[in-house]
Amino acid sequence: MKNPSLQVRYNRRAFKDRLARYFVASGGISVIIAILLIFFYLLYVVIPMFEPAEIRESASYRAPGDGKTLQLGLEEQGTVGVRFTSEGHVIFFKTDSGKIIRDENLHLPASITSVAANLNLVALALENGSVLAIRYKFDLSYPGDVRTLTPVLDYPLGKDPLVLDESGAALSHIDIQLSDDVVGVAATTNDNRLVFARYQREESFISGDISIELESRSEQPFQGEIYAVALTPGLDHFYASAENGRLFDYSLDEDGFDGKKRTYNLEHKITRLKLLLGGSSLLAGMENGEVQQWMSVRKDGGRELVYIRNFVKNRQAVSYIATEQQRKGFAVADNRGNITINYSTSQRTLASINTANTLVDQMAWSPRAQNLIVSDSNNLVHFYKVDNEYPEVSWDVLWEKVWYEGYDEADYIWQSSASTNEFEAKFSLMPLSFGTIKAAFYAMIFAVPIAIFGAMFTAQFMAPRMRQTVKPAIEIMEALPTVILGFLAGLWLAPYVETHLAGIFTLLIILPVGFLLCAWLWGFVPNKSAFEGWEAALLVPVVLLLIWISTALSSPVETLFFNGSLRNYMSNVWGLDYDQRNALVVGLIMGFAVIPTIFSIAEDALFGVPQHLVRGSLALGATRWQTMTSVVLPAASPGIFSAVMMGFGRAVGETMIVLMATGNTPVMDMSIFQGMRTLAANLAVEVPEAEVFSTHYRVLFLAALILFLFTFVFNTLAELIRHRLRQRYSEL
Amino acid sequence: MTETVATKIDPAILPGSSATTDSTICMDVNNLNLFYGESRALTDVSFQMKKNQVTAFIGPSGCGKSTLLRCFNRMNDLVDSVRVTGEIILDGKNIYAPDVDVTSLRQRVGMVFQKPNPFPMSIFENVAYGLRLQGINKRRLLEEKVEWALKGAALWSEVKDRLSESALGLSGGQQQRLVIARAIAIEPEILLLDEPASALDPISTLKIEELIYELKSKYTILIVTHNMQQAARVSDETGFMYLGEMIEFGDTNKIFTNPAKKQTEDYITGRYG
Repeated sequence: MKNPSLQVRYNRRAFKDRLARYFVASGGISVIIAILLIFFYLLYVVIPMFEPAEIRESASYRAPGDGKTLQLGLEEQGTVGVRFTSEGHVIFFKTDSGKIIRDENLHLPASITSVAANLNLVALALENGSVLAIRYKFDLSYPGDVRTLTPVLDYPLGKDPLVLDESGAALSHIDIQLSDDVVGVAATTNDNRLVFARYQREESFISGDISIELESRSEQPFQGEIYAVALTPGLDHFYASAENGRLFDYSLDEDGFDGKKRTYNLEHKITRLKLLLGGSSLLAGMENGEVQQWMSVRKDGGRELVYIRNFVKNRQAVSYIATEQQRKGFAVADNRGNITINYSTSQRTLASINTANTLVDQMAWSPRAQNLIVSDSNNLVHFYKVDNEYPEVSWDVLWEKVWYEGYDEADYIWQSSASTNEFEAKFSLMPLSFGTIKAAFYAMIFAVPIAIFGAMFTAQFMAPRMRQTVKPAIEIMEALPTVILGFLAGLWLAPYVETHLAGIFTLLIILPVGFLLCAWLWGFVPNKSAFEGWEAALLVPVVLLLIWISTALSSPVETLFFNGSLRNYMSNVWGLDYDQRNALVVGLIMGFAVIPTIFSIAEDALFGVPQHLVRGSLALGATRWQTMTSVVLPAASPGIFSAVMMGFGRAVGETMIVLMATGNTPVMDMSIFQGMRTLAANLAVEVPEAEVFSTHYRVLFLAALILFLFTFVFNTLAELIRHRLRQRYSEL
Repeated sequence: MTETVATKIDPAILPGSSATTDSTICMDVNNLNLFYGESRALTDVSFQMKKNQVTAFIGPSGCGKSTLLRCFNRMNDLVDSVRVTGEIILDGKNIYAPDVDVTSLRQRVGMVFQKPNPFPMSIFENVAYGLRLQGINKRRLLEEKVEWALKGAALWSEVKDRLSESALGLSGGQQQRLVIARAIAIEPEILLLDEPASALDPISTLKIEELIYELKSKYTILIVTHNMQQAARVSDETGFMYLGEMIEFGDTNKIFTNPAKKQTEDYITGRYG
């Protein structure tokens, strides 16, 4: 290196080399980082869903005002609490300190014997057999830009107590349901009668006056003792827990008790009954701390309670159950002060706390379930903050059959939104995963044979000059935007297949028969060697002709054998339902989209089998087909396997085609004539409308994570196998 | 292929055809020409090959000796736009006749390539491959034949304990003998060896040469080689080719000691090639 100009050139070359190395390395590393970032971001969104809830006591003080606590309530933000006392007062207080804001004396004519609460409606049952219903509200105003809550009491059934029992017996248990125009009140009296009354309620728009008119009143005697009662919102069932763990279910109609009564045996004494939001599930708290969920299910024409699931984290007799106001969650307290926070559908006990250490006799949720207020037998009030954002999701909810309200059995259901407030989102990923596999399966059934046989012919039998045009042409198909394929599938192929269903199936018979016929005729053609390797090109018009024949045959075949319509014939005679957007259409079009992937990789693998192996086999007197099956195919099999895996990965991740051609019905039905909803299509449909960081949003991210892992694992496996193949053939 | 048709009409009137009646003659090559598209690779090659002898073809690179070898089992058919005229008579029949079944021809005329090409299968399956192609699937029979072929290829003692292992694990020389075993397993009449030792080390080469000498008693062997010593050592007759023509064909001793043509002499004395 004595020559300086040579030295400069050498340095420059080394610099360029280094630069290129860093450039390539940083490119590669940033790809890996990008993939890891995607993975971790998905994980970051998903993980909070599986974390337990948190509950902590933020204040505890003597119950504000006098008397025993009969009922508690909370305002939306949990800053103001309300307490109904045994002395007939309604006391509003600050939840952080217990400072009284307002103390309202109801001036009741008799003492209170029992209380029922339904959201912010409280029914006080009196010793003289009458009932007073009170609704507490908080008027929000901003005087001087300060958020001010003014407690208001409102009497939806009028200011005067309503006489429920005309004989004037004291009401020992009561429950109330209030809708816009109908009010139902059910109670037990201390002389062993069940009383149910139904009222028509009218509220004048102009004056705001309320008129209440009795529609029906009926009663039934009972034996023994009743511990708890519950009335359904539809006013059609009245549940009462009796001695020896028995649960009575009285049916009601517009005239009251209709005489039907069912008895269920829960084996332990039921201390509390409470209906979950929506009223189709009954929670029964027992003496041993267990809480059982029973659901009203259609059975043999009627409705029956069915045991669904239980919660066993409380070990002592259940003293109170407070249900959440907007979800299907509930808190359970027992007579030792243990409070657990549970969620019905996911069967999870999310958190527990015990700061009272004595019997908890009252609990109430704030409307958004962010605060829980509790009073114990020492007349202390405990105020808890609860952080419980995602109680609905558990492994079982995502992957196992879950018995949802309104269904006749446990099932895999994906239904993320509906119109009613009482609706509960159903997040089973099974139908989506199933749909994904189903769509990919049908696509593969169509694509794998065509792609692999095509690759076999192209690689080993086709004339090189024809191969030079065929291979790139098929590979270009891969660049076709799938939205166009999806568009064709949904708007052209789906209706076409529906009207030419018989033609599609005749094609399955005509095509192979036609090919065999052609092969037989080909035997008579003289001077065949001139066409060697070009047979495929000669077959193209034959294929087109056969397709034309079978579509032309479609309608005669349907008329002749299937009374004019194969579709109707199938559903009437074979009981096969037919969706226009179905797995057949998806299989055809997605198969079409996947063929280039499989073909290209498989063809490379087959063509890459070293020629000396092929020649070695031929020199032993093997025919070309024998060489193909016993040498070329085994040698290329890892490559073909990886091609199929890549194709499968592509089919699983494919979005636009399935979005447009599947009908997006999340059903679990393997039938080729039924639609499906895939993970990818589901994301495309629902992500835009999911509330950010809601459970729904996070479940969708979980679906994305699964899809990501699925395709990642498949492609990695395929790539690993391909890598090993390459190593193996470097030895040959 | 007018010649072929002529052969069918009356083989006796054509020159050289009478030779097929001679029981010592294995193959008779008459005016063989081969074209790759427009270019001529073989020009009017004619000679006769004797049974149970080793015939070697020597000549500089590109002289057409490998092409000629491949004519005997029609491996040239695999190359695009190849055209062959003239005839090669095997058992009184032109192997380029249109009704000849190429696969059965190749079962009669086995071939071993320059580079060992065992299949990615076990040693046993490699040897059994040709037998299986013929529909032999009985385990006992296959085992007998495989053992016989491996012994014939002088490989049995080295591989008998690992027949089920991959053939790719063998050394180059072993692989080449395995390929020979694979070729003789189907009991061909003629064995074509295309530079069988050129990719091997000297010891393996020696083993292959010894093997060729032993195989001579059962098979007619054609060998293409770059190595003139090898040709001199193993062959009984030698053909010298140059630019697609058979310059001289005859007894090996005579070719190497007293060649009739000057070109032959120039080549064997190392003046070109």
